[in-house]
Parts: sequence; C-alpha cells; structure tokens
Amino acid sequence: MTTNVEPSADEAGPAKAGGPPPAARRSRGRLSPRLAEASLLPFAFLLVIIGFSIARPDTFFQWSNFTSIFGLNSVEFILVMALLIPLTNGDLDLSVAEISGMTAVLVGWLNVNQGWAIVPAILVALAVGLLCGALNGWIIVRFDVNPFIITLATGSIFDGIAFWLPNQQTIPGISTHLADWTVLTHVLGIPLDFWYGIVLMLVMFYVLTFTPFGQRALFVGQSREVARLSGFRVSSTRFWAFVVAGLIAALSGVINDGVLGAATPQNQGTLLLSVYAAAFLGFTTIQPGRFNAIGAGVSVFFLAIAVNGMNLLGAQSYVQSLFYGIFLVVAVVASRVINRRRAAAAAARGAG
Amino acid sequence: MEQATSGRPAHANAPALEARNLAKTFGAFRALKGVDLEIGEAEVVSVLGENGSGKSTLVKILSGYHEPDPGGSLRMSGVEVPLPVPLGQARTVGLSFVYQDLGLAGELQVVENLFVGQRVTRGLRSAARIDWRSERRHAREIFARYGVELDPSAQVGRLRPTSQALLAIVRAAYELRDYREHNRGAGGVLVLDEPTVFLPEHEKVFLFDLVRRISAEGFGVLFVSHDMTAVREIAHRAVVLRDGAKVGDVLMEQASDADLIELVSGHRLDRSEIERVTGGAAARDSAESSDGAAASGAVVFAAHGVSGGRVRNVDFELHAGEILGIAGLLGAGSEDLPYLLFGDLPGGGGEVSIGDWRGQVSQLSPRESIRHGVALVPADRKAHGAVPELPVSMNMLSLSLESFMHSRFLRLDRLLGVANERTEEYDVRPRDASLSMSSLSGGNQQKVVLARWLERGPRVLLLHEPTQGVDVATRHQIYELMRERAAQGAGILWVSTDFDELAAVSHRILICAYGEIQGVLAAPYSRDKITSAVYSATAGGAAREVSTGS
Repeated sequence: MTTNVEPSADEAGPAKAGGPPPAARRSRGRLSPRLAEASLLPFAFLLVIIGFSIARPDTFFQWSNFTSIFGLNSVEFILVMALLIPLTNGDLDLSVAEISGMTAVLVGWLNVNQGWAIVPAILVALAVGLLCGALNGWIIVRFDVNPFIITLATGSIFDGIAFWLPNQQTIPGISTHLADWTVLTHVLGIPLDFWYGIVLMLVMFYVLTFTPFGQRALFVGQSREVARLSGFRVSSTRFWAFVVAGLIAALSGVINDGVLGAATPQNQGTLLLSVYAAAFLGFTTIQPGRFNAIGAGVSVFFLAIAVNGMNLLGAQSYVQSLFYGIFLVVAVVASRVINRRRAAAAAARGAG
Repeated sequence: MEQATSGRPAHANAPALEARNLAKTFGAFRALKGVDLEIGEAEVVSVLGENGSGKSTLVKILSGYHEPDPGGSLRMSGVEVPLPVPLGQARTVGLSFVYQDLGLAGELQVVENLFVGQRVTRGLRSAARIDWRSERRHAREIFARYGVELDPSAQVGRLRPTSQALLAIVRAAYELRDYREHNRGAGGVLVLDEPTVFLPEHEKVFLFDLVRRISAEGFGVLFVSHDMTAVREIAHRAVVLRDGAKVGDVLMEQASDADLIELVSGHRLDRSEIERVTGGAAARDSAESSDGAAASGAVVFAAHGVSGGRVRNVDFELHAGEILGIAGLLGAGSEDLPYLLFGDLPGGGGEVSIGDWRGQVSQLSPRESIRHGVALVPADRKAHGAVPELPVSMNMLSLSLESFMHSRFLRLDRLLGVANERTEEYDVRPRDASLSMSSLSGGNQQKVVLARWLERGPRVLLLHEPTQGVDVATRHQIYELMRERAAQGAGILWVSTDFDELAAVSHRILICAYGEIQGVLAAPYSRDKITSAVYSATAGGAAREVSTGS
C-alpha cells in the first residue's frame, strides 16, 4: 500500500478573479459539472426515497420509520467519523469496528458483571478506546509499518478480547440511564443519539475544512515528503488521527449499548464494511474529492434507508452484506473515475 | 560458453558498434548534431561532456528511447540495425545498459535479480519449475568468472552500493552473452551510464576490474561519466561532446587531463583562478577577500565543518544580498548540501549559524529551519516540491495557513483570493489558483513552489536545481525573482549542475568535488570557466595538481 488511500482533487469552491478560463465559460448557463457531481448522491438519495415510498407507502414512508432509522444507525453515523482523519492522512484504520465492539462489551461487563456505576464504566471504555488508537498509531508511526495490516491485526486482537471478556455471552441489563441518554430521549422527535452524531459530524467538518490541521492532513495524505519538507509534523499528525479514531470508535460502542440495552460480542465485519462504504461514497459527494464529514454522514443514511427499504420489500438480512460490498466497490471506483476525469479536465483547462 | 575462435564470418572484425551521423532535434533545439561513434571489440570508450552536451541524448538514441533524426545509421558488428532501436529491445541488437539507477529489486535476492531476464515468458512456460539450487550454482559460476564476490542468496537491498552496481553490471554482461550466441559469437556493447557517481572513491576499483574483465571477453564498453578519474582509469579512448557536436576523439594515453577538460569546457583554466582552500579559516578568508558589492552584507548563514550524506567538512559563509553558487558534478556532494543544511538528512554533523541562532546540524529539522527563516526549494518537484493533486492555492499558501484564520475559521475563500493575486504577481499561468497543480506546466509549478517560500519572507533560500524542467522564459523570470530577493537582503545558496545558470546568477561561486569545497572561483564567470574548474577539481582529486599537458 502506498501513502495514498485515494488521490484527492482540487478544493471545492468556484474560481475567482483572472476571468474564467475558456472551458468554464463554455459550460456557463448549464449546471456546473462540479455542482452536478457534488449533488449526485443527494439526488440519488431522493430517488431511492421516492421509489420506496411508492412501493411501500404504508410502512416505508412513515415519520416513525425515518426516526427509527435515524436512531438505529447512530453507531454507523458516529463510527464513520472515526475514519475521516486517518483517511485524509492516507491511512486506513480497519480496527475501528472492533474497538467499537470491544468497548461496548467492556461497558456492559464493568456495569453488569463488575457492578460499576455506568458513568465510570463509560469513561473507562472511552479511555480504553483512546489507548487502542494510541497503540495502533504508535506501532504504525514508530516502526513505519503498513497501517492496513497492523489495524487488521489489532482489530482481531480487540475482537478476541470482546468475546473473551463476557465468556462469549450477551450481557443484558445495562443501566437504563444509558438508554435514557441515547434512544429514549427524543429531540424534535428523533432520538438523542442521532444528535450526538450530528454534533460530531459538524466538529469533524470544522476540523477538516476550517482548520490548518485539516489542510495539513491533506498534504500528509498526498505526499509525506512534501509535508515533511514543509515542516509539518507528519508522524504526530498520523499518530493523533489514530488516537482520535480510537476514541470516536469507543463512543460509538457506548452508544451501541444504549441502543440495544445489552452488550453482545459479535462479528463486526458488516459494520466495518458499511462505514467504509459510507466514507468512500461520501468522498464522491458534497465536497467531491475529499473525505468529508457531511458527505460521509449523508452516505450512512443513504445506505441505511436503502437497506431498510429493501427489508420492507421482503429482502433477507444477508442483503446488507451484499449491498454494502457492492456499494463499497462502486464508491471506490466512482471516486477514482471522478478524480481522473477531473485531472483530465484540469489539464485541459490549464493548457487552454 | 566461450565463443568459437574459428570460422568467424568475414566482418567479424567490424567494430562492435559503428554509428554514423546520429542527430536529434527537439523543436528548434538541436540536441545532437550528427555524431559518429565507433567502439571496437574489447575497447572501452568514454563519452565526456557537460550537462546538455548531448551525452544523454546519444545514450537515449542507442537505448531506443529517442528516435533519431533521419539520416543516421547504426551497425552492430557490421550488421545494419534499423533505427530507431526498438524500445526495450536494445538487448536483441547487442546493447545492454546499466544506468545510475541500477534497476535492481532491493527486496529480492541476488540470484533472482541476476536471472530476471530469463523470466520473460508467457503462458504455461511461466509455470515451469525453477531449480533454485542449480540457479544459485550457475550464479556462483558467473560471479567467479568475473571475479566478483557476491552471495547469490543475499538480499540485494542489504548489499553495499558498490556490490549492487557490480551485480547490475554482471547482469548486463550476462545478458549480452545471449546476443552473442545468436550472433556467431561476436559483438555486444555494454553501456554504462554514470555508474560510479554515488560510489565511494576507494571502492570504484572493484568496478574498474569488472569492466576490464568484461572488455577482455571481447565486449565493447561505452562508459558515460563525469568522473575524470574513472575515465582515466579504464577508458582506452574518449569521445568528447560539446553543445551536441563531437569536438574530440582522443586516445587516453595521448591526452592529459587538461587537454580533456579543455575539450569538454572549451576553456583552458588558469590554475590561479581557483583559490585553494585548506581549512575553515581559509574559506572564511577567501569569502571575505572576494567580497564584491553584493557579498558585503552581514552573514545570514554560515556552515562550519559540516558533514553528512556525501558532504565532508564544508565551511562557507553566506551574506545578506548574496547569491552564492555551488558548482559540482553529480555525485560531488553538492547535491546533498541543501538538504543537509535544512536538517533533512540524518546523521549530519558540524555547526551552523542562521542569523543570530547557532547550533549543530543535528539539531536542525525542516520544521526548525523554517522557524529560523530558511527555505528549501528541492530539485525533485514531483516528489518533494509540490502535491500535484492539490490546488495551486493550497500548494502556494500551505506554509501560511495561520494568516487566513478569522475567528477560529480557516477562510479558504480568502486564501484562494490571495493565491489568485499571487498568480498575477509571480506570473503563474493560467491565473486561476483553484486549478490542480498538475494542470500547470513545469515552469509555472516551480513559480508556485517559490511563491510558497517567498510568502514567508525567508532570509536564507537553499535552492537545488531550481530551474530543472523549466522552460527558458520562466527560467529568466526565476533568475530575476531571486535577484530581487537577494537585493532585498536574502542570502541565497544556489546549487546547480547547470553552469550557464550559475554564471548568470552567482555573485560568488564555490567549487565542490569529493564532498568538499575545493575553493572559490574568481570572477568573472562563464559556463566554460565553471565547467573547466569543476572538471579540474574532479580530475585532480582533493590534493593532486592538474598537469598542464604540454
């Protein structure tokens, strides 16, 4: 694996000053290609909703269905945010889903099996998530090894701990406070956990778009050499991205306990696939060519609503695996194609 | 395996390579102006010439990379070879190449690298069993024949650079034997393109031995090098190119170093024009003694006994308002100097002072250097200078992001606005900073890289080949830009192998060879004079006197 996860293209925002180059002038009067590209996914999103609404007006097109989708997918919603900084840095973190699963079990185990109060249990779980991220980051940066393989391996370790801790049993009866703080309290008719995701998404959007840190991360992801010779702290940027990813993953694990009221050790493959599908799908929209928070958030719910609709049409649960897998392939290929086309268009404009 | 000694065809004594009237024109530029080249069997011929003399164009025509202008011809062992040489197939006409980048797979074993040429198979033959034990034995036989000590199962990446070069050359020679078997046991030319550049001086002797053995087998050798010592050591004859034309074809035993240098540079150097430097104090003295109007500013950057990479014990002082040229051939150490002084090479030693700050080279890092007001413009723009996928605006202002923070928000719109103004100021075309860097020409990209550093108002600029891959018009814009900055008080260290450029911009020029500063070249400067000085310093060695020839 090279340093680049995905080549990113130029920044969103229209060109100013100096007069538009010829190609831009030609396209005036029609929808600009950039805007068309950015709004492609929301448009598809709308079509999917309309389609399912016509097919299943009684079950799908109900406010209660939507609020439950929003509430039930907050784990994915939060977890996808963990991927964005490492991805921008050019690093893949495959252990986030297992960190999420392990910390979910840890909260249950501390709270139920060990009789801890819920708040310290949560705090410990968050700290453990943070340490897991720090472990990933340290190994990867210190020994300059491939993050793909290392997080695949550490993820397996975290998974093992998640099964070992409760002796492979589900831990029921987690403090109902947690449920109160997540699914049982509604704001504007939508469970609180969804709003946590919204807040996190906005923070991530801010960090990636409106801070020097986020812009430097782009350089780190695109060229470690250029970043280093620019005096950027490449290793520390990468390390802290993994730490933050671990912390956010732990948060999603805690939320998961609130949503389910119990902690179950389980295989996290589908969860991982769904968040990667969302992250790469998000790469193609809103701020195309960037791993961006809002695009990723929209993509999570696009995928969730599509799966929900298909379930209502009578599809079996395995459809999820199929669907996420297909969408990850499509999203990665699409982002690649978009970049090539954009590079070609930019070269043509530059030459003109 | 030895070739048959009897029953050779009539033209077996034809030269291994005989090229006539090779020419190459790029647009209006005649890079090679009808050059003849002949290499006999068992003869080692060196091609000498400075950068831009047409050396690499000649090699690239032989390798098939360039299609020569019509009218040239090439005969290998008397057999006409249609031009252009099919790209990637030069081996089939009896030419085998070893470049400075040796083309070895560092992760793999010696034996795997050695026989890689035999792995070019298709279909089911790709699944044929390889008997590694006998392959290793075979490799040992080959190494023994050429007197090279290499362990077939060693990992190539762990070998010393010299051993890697030996392996690459043995492989090239071995591949030529294939050609021989199909060519009545005659002919074959090994082309070595700057193979000694980065090797330690005392190990080059192994390489010379190997080349002699290969030539003793009857192969012709074309040895392209700046390294006068190496050329003197192994070449029988030297072909000298200047400005694309052949200006000399001399037997080594009949030519002195001074003769060759005069052929290469077109300039006979008066030895008194290089002020010899023996120690740090002398370097400082000479820096002060040659103070022109420009060098009279305060010292903004100084190196004392700096070593690291290929640089050994370098002393110099850079004054405010001065452009200090460092002239050296590739491999002379000058190419490491900017990175070493910027804190980007590990294992550096010695002392530097930047303005009021004094410290060890080992304390520096790019981050630290930038903080002290130092800028580095690297030679390799693609890998080190800029990110092609990101927009011009980001590449231009990535070091100044903090100044676009307004109430905790980075204002990318203002950043783009300022970047657009800068495209005007630095004449970056097109004037649209939202374009991705990759859509700009090399010259415009370089202006963006310079603009990024100038935005910070550095007091010291370390430039390494700053006009490499840059068109002529932009080149002069860059000279002008740098002169302006110097006039405003910046000190500029300009490392280049383009001596035309150094002559045009430098207030003072230091000659670098063998990793050391050999002396200060007395003004006035011309390309030929610098070339002559650099080759003399290289041919003479650090302490040897250059013979005057007559």
